[in-house]
Amino acid sequence: MEPIKNFLKGFFEYFKQSSTEYIEFELRELENVFALILMASFIGIPSPPTTLVLRLMPHMVKEIKVMQQRAIDLDDVFAEVAGMFDID
Amino acid sequence: MRKYLLPQDGFRVIFVIGKGGVGKTTTSASLAVALAEAGHKTLIVSLDPAHNLGDVLMEKLSDKPREIMENLYASELDMEGMIREYLEHLEKNLKNMYRYLTVINLEKYFEVLRYSPGIEEYATLEAIREILSEGDNWNVIVFDTPPTGLTLRVLALPRISLIWADKLIEIRKKILERRRAIAKIQGEQKFVVDGEEIKLPTEEEEDGVMRELKAYRSEVEFVYKTITDPKKTSVIAVMNPELLPLYETKRAYESLKKFKVPFNLIVMNKVIQLEREVPEIKVKIEAQKRVMEEVKREFRGVDIVEIPMFQEEPRGIEWLRKVGGMIVGNP
Repeated sequence: MEPIKNFLKGFFEYFKQSSTEYIEFELRELENVFALILMASFIGIPSPPTTLVLRLMPHMVKEIKVMQQRAIDLDDVFAEVAGMFDID
Repeated sequence: MRKYLLPQDGFRVIFVIGKGGVGKTTTSASLAVALAEAGHKTLIVSLDPAHNLGDVLMEKLSDKPREIMENLYASELDMEGMIREYLEHLEKNLKNMYRYLTVINLEKYFEVLRYSPGIEEYATLEAIREILSEGDNWNVIVFDTPPTGLTLRVLALPRISLIWADKLIEIRKKILERRRAIAKIQGEQKFVVDGEEIKLPTEEEEDGVMRELKAYRSEVEFVYKTITDPKKTSVIAVMNPELLPLYETKRAYESLKKFKVPFNLIVMNKVIQLEREVPEIKVKIEAQKRVMEEVKREFRGVDIVEIPMFQEEPRGIEWLRKVGGMIVGNP
C-alpha cells in the first residue's frame, strides 16, 4: 500500500508543480518588471515620481531579489526559454 | 473685489507665477496684505529657493508661518534643507530594512538621488501638498513660486503622478493575482531573506507596496483635485510690458490650460506712465503699448490689471497695501 501512496503523492506533487510553472514564470517576470520600472532611473529611463519610488522601496525586498537574479540569469536567457518549452 | 481671489468652497489657493524678476514676490505679498486687510486669514508661502519675500515684507521669515499683521502669516520654505532632511530620513529607514541587501549600495544611490533631475519638483509638490492638507487653518493661501519653468512642472506633476500610480497599481494587481493563483494550488508561499522567513502577501490589503501605492494615489489626487478646481485655485501671472515675459506668459497659459489649472488674472507690472512725452524713451513706451495690446487680444476671458512703475520700490506694509488694493480691485 505504502509505495502506491508515495507514488500518488509524488505524482500529484509533480502535477501541482508543473501546473503552476507558467504562472510562476509570469509572476517572476512581472516582479522583475515592477522592480525594473522603479529603478529605471539608474539606466537613464524616465522613472516614476521619486517620492513614490522611495516610499515603495522598503516593501520591495522580494522583487529586487528577483530582479537581481534575473540580471544574473540573463547570460543564458535562451536556455531558460528553451527549458520552459521543453526544447533540448 | 475679484471673486476668484476670495474663498468660496473651503480655502482659496492662489499661485503667483511669472518670469524671474517681474515682481512676483511683490505682487503676491501685496495681494496677501490686501486679502488680510479684508478680513481673510491669509498665509503667504514663498517656494522660491532664492527667497526675497522677507525682504519685501521687511521681516525675517522661516519655514514656520509667522504673524506679520492681523490675519497675515508668512513663511519661506527652505527647499534644499527639506530635500536633505527628507532624504536623510528615508536613508535611515531604508538602511534598517535593507541590512541584507547591501548589494545595491545604498549610499551611492542616495548620493545620486540628491542631485537627480526632478527631485526639486517633487520636493516642492510635497511641500505644497503638506500645506494644502492643513489648508483649513486658513482662508486664503498665496504661493509665491519659483520662476515659471519649475512651477509649471510642479503644477503638471499631480496628473503625471496619477498616471504613474495607476500604471503601477495595474501591474501590482497582476502580480497579486498570479500569487493568489499559485497559493491556491501550492499553499502559502514563503520567501527567505537571510534565514528569515517572510510570507508573500497575496491580498491587496496585506501588500505593503499596494498600500503605499494607494495612499500615494489618494494624496496626489487630493492635490490634483484642489489645483484644478476653479472654486479653490486661481493662478495669477505677473509680467512686465515686454516681449519675453509675454512669450513666457503665453506658454504658461497654454500649459496650464492643458493641465486644467484655472488661470484668472494677469498683473501687468512696472508699466511706465508718463505725464509728458520724453523723446529718449519713446521707443520703449511704444513697445510697451504694443505688448499691452497683444495681451488684451491674446488672453480673452482673463482679467488684466496694470500696476504702474513707482518711483521707489514698493516695500513694507504701507506700499504693499496700496499695490494690493489695485490688484484685488478695491476702489
